[in-house]
Amino acid sequence: MTALFVDEYPAQARLVRAAFLTAFTAFGVGALFGLIQALHRTDVFRFLESETYYTVLTGHGVFLVITFAIFFLVGLYQWAVTVSLERGPVDMRISWTWYGLMSIGTLLVAISILAGFLDDPPTVLGSELSADVLFTFYAPLQAHPLFYAGLATFFIGIWLAGADWFRTWWVWKGNHPDERIPLPTFMVLMTMIMWYVGSIGVVVAIVVFLLPWSLEIIESVNPLLTRTLFWYFGHMVVYFWVLPAYLLWYNVLPKVSGGRLFSDPLARVVFILFVLLSTPVGIHHQYLDPGIAEGFKFIAMTNTMFLLLPSLLTAFTVVASMEHGARQLGGKGTFGWLRALPWRNPAFTGMALAGAVFAFGGFTGIVNAGMNINYLVHNSLWVSGHIHTQVGTASALTFMAGTYWLIPQLTGNQLISRRLGLIQVVLWFIGIVFMTNSMYRAGLFGVPRRTAEPQYGFEYDVGVGSMAELDAQIALGGTLLFISAMLFLGLLLLTVFNTDSEPIVDGSIPPALSGPEDSPRVLDNLRLWTAIALVLVALAYTLPLAAIVSRGGLLGPDVNPFPVVIDGLKILQYVLPSIEVVPI
Amino acid sequence: MRIHTYEKLWLVASMVLIVGFIATVTYGSVGLGITMIGDDESTIAPDDIGDDDQFGEPRVEQVGEDEYEAYVIAQTWTFQPDPIEVPAGSKVTFYVTSPDVVHGFAVPGTNINAMVIPGETAQLSVEFDEPGEYGIICNEYCGAGHHDMEGELIVQPEDEFDLTELTVEALESVEPGADVELTVTIENGELDPLETTVDTEISNETIQQDITVEGDSTENISITIDSEDLGEGDHDWTVSVDGYEETGTVTVEPPGTDGNETDADGDGDDSADTKTNETTGGGGT
Ligand code: HEM
Ligand SMILES: [Cu+2]
Ligand SMILES: [Cu+2]
Repeated sequence: MTALFVDEYPAQARLVRAAFLTAFTAFGVGALFGLIQALHRTDVFRFLESETYYTVLTGHGVFLVITFAIFFLVGLYQWAVTVSLERGPVDMRISWTWYGLMSIGTLLVAISILAGFLDDPPTVLGSELSADVLFTFYAPLQAHPLFYAGLATFFIGIWLAGADWFRTWWVWKGNHPDERIPLPTFMVLMTMIMWYVGSIGVVVAIVVFLLPWSLEIIESVNPLLTRTLFWYFGHMVVYFWVLPAYLLWYNVLPKVSGGRLFSDPLARVVFILFVLLSTPVGIHHQYLDPGIAEGFKFIAMTNTMFLLLPSLLTAFTVVASMEHGARQLGGKGTFGWLRALPWRNPAFTGMALAGAVFAFGGFTGIVNAGMNINYLVHNSLWVSGHIHTQVGTASALTFMAGTYWLIPQLTGNQLISRRLGLIQVVLWFIGIVFMTNSMYRAGLFGVPRRTAEPQYGFEYDVGVGSMAELDAQIALGGTLLFISAMLFLGLLLLTVFNTDSEPIVDGSIPPALSGPEDSPRVLDNLRLWTAIALVLVALAYTLPLAAIVSRGGLLGPDVNPFPVVIDGLKILQYVLPSIEVVPI
Repeated sequence: MRIHTYEKLWLVASMVLIVGFIATVTYGSVGLGITMIGDDESTIAPDDIGDDDQFGEPRVEQVGEDEYEAYVIAQTWTFQPDPIEVPAGSKVTFYVTSPDVVHGFAVPGTNINAMVIPGETAQLSVEFDEPGEYGIICNEYCGAGHHDMEGELIVQPEDEFDLTELTVEALESVEPGADVELTVTIENGELDPLETTVDTEISNETIQQDITVEGDSTENISITIDSEDLGEGDHDWTVSVDGYEETGTVTVEPPGTDGNETDADGDGDDSADTKTNETTGGGGT
């Protein structure tokens, strides 16, 4: 048994703990908002005005998929780089700088969103504080400048974090000239290359267009352009949420299953495929957008289908590694080995359930990707179902399960109760089954996502079951998920204060059955993969972006800003002139 | 690179699956003709929508036998026109744009679904076989009243559908001895000529007049009644064409009243005592 992470790398453990603390704080708030949404939409319990629903929804999206997912990622990756290179960063002050930038950015964004709950939001920098623009912030909906400034700061922080890990690796390489990059570090570096390539889009959208526009430095923006720049980033980011889960499935899951990773080379290939393919597919989120030629949509569709490959390969490797583990533990038979797996361990069970949900959600993703079928599901509750099986469970539940395994190593304390941990992950699974199956079904009947009151003057044509039954399932599932989230946070909190205990976790990760020596060295050629990724992005995006700019101009055809302040008078100001123009 | 045999099989199966999906989607596009919303429409400045030929007056227009075009504006937080009425057994091409923020244009229970982006026009063609009534919803968040943004799509039985518009203009009061004049305007938005009868009733008089309105055009007729025949006082009138009906009242002033108010204004603006009635759409049954 190796020394505990916290004993060996106390300075890094502090940083990882800080990142996790921010992540899980955001998770708690996000889960509360999720519960409010689940009850409000279904009209089970409404205590907020429906206008305020969108403040809640903006917070839910931003706090969970921006703050929670990414702070967890940086914490996990800091741990992974440290243990696999067996050294800390070159300069911890740089590391705390990126943590600081990310935190300041988050704070600015959070303040501008939460101001939406005030009856009379304060005026800051000459405009009223508000950011009810959801996490996609499509212009001409306009948020307060602080929202955009906060996002930009946050993104710069992530860039710096990536640079910090590259620098650590570079120094390590100097000392280990002939060694292959250890797998966890390889995964970290590849994820960050993917991030650099893919985040350019949203950063340009924010820094070049939206922030200056919100400060009235430029008068208008081209909504299709900023939207396309967002989605240039928007599909890559879903892999940014999922790859930390992959890192845990490839490294920790085989170990907690009692075995070893099946194939190190294939794991590298999988991450390379993500670097190459995760950005040149973003237009699949814009299948139904006017102003983008059908041909570009077709290209995005084919690229997206090929992006299934790394996930299918992962399914194989992960299941094979689990089987190997089970057989080490005495499992027998074609399927009998499943029973030998350590189902009582919340770290294992959580990850295994997350993987199963991910596989199911992956198939629903194929429906989304199927260009012409997209008409049926686009912006329907089906998409919310997809979001919650993927990032909301594949990632989030894996992060929670991984935390059960990591937290003793990060704190030196024993997990307060494995049994409650097990109940927690199973509860999440049950909750997600209720909530997402009903979301998927409701979506197929045309119930829209992102709305406070999906009840209209017409009746949905619900095939099997009824609207009331679907609503009840969403409300019940949402409540179970919320209870599970609170149970998790409670367990975590008690574990942090459980100081007079001995952690019983072996933090070492055994080598793969088929190690890196079975693969060609070119897999580790980061420059090559970066170059190919850039070429693919250029091929997929140069023409669409050029077409959008030549159609509508860089700043769009005179589009007026639409600040989202919940203020009747301001809204009237926009509605009235248009009523004059268009006689009814 | 060493790859396990099962792994190789899995890899091959995965590739087959992927190629299969691509083939399926391609078949949907090419074989079944499910096209994607594209970039055929030119951009339009949101401020100019009011003056635009097509969006200046949001409407349904006939462009061919069983072919229609609907120009729709999605704006915070309404759809225009509302309801959108089209005949069954037709192919309708929707053109949807927005003067303000991004909206959605979706009809639950069908695969009508498009993003509406200011500056751009979403174009999508739909075939309606059967009559029916649908809701139209905005499925993209567009501000505080997003959940109130709803419209109606009515697919009418073919024989009940028309694009006729009836307008009647009449003075509210006339001098004794002057003529009561009703100006009837019939607009025929369909391509086939409309042959019909204008029925006018005033007091106890009934006047019938046959009229033919060519396709995609407008006809005016004047119906004149001598106020002497009506006598002093208020007289209700009704003009009906093909099930559309307009009503109003005209007052024949008592003798000695000094002229009609239009002249008294002296500025030629007779809006004060002229009444324009108008009905449109397919309600004519
Ligand atoms: C307590 C658990 C949760 C509940 C009850 C919940 C509930 C909901 C509901 C009802 C919606 C749909 C809102 C609408 O479209 O009107 C929603 C949207 C969403 N949720 Fe959750 N959720 C939970 C956890 C999560 C987690 C863990 C994540 C990701 C890590 C997540 C990510 C999202 C995202 C990205 C959206 C879409 C936001 C948007 O459309 O702008 N949720 N959630
Ligand atoms: Cu995507
Ligand atoms: Cu809307």
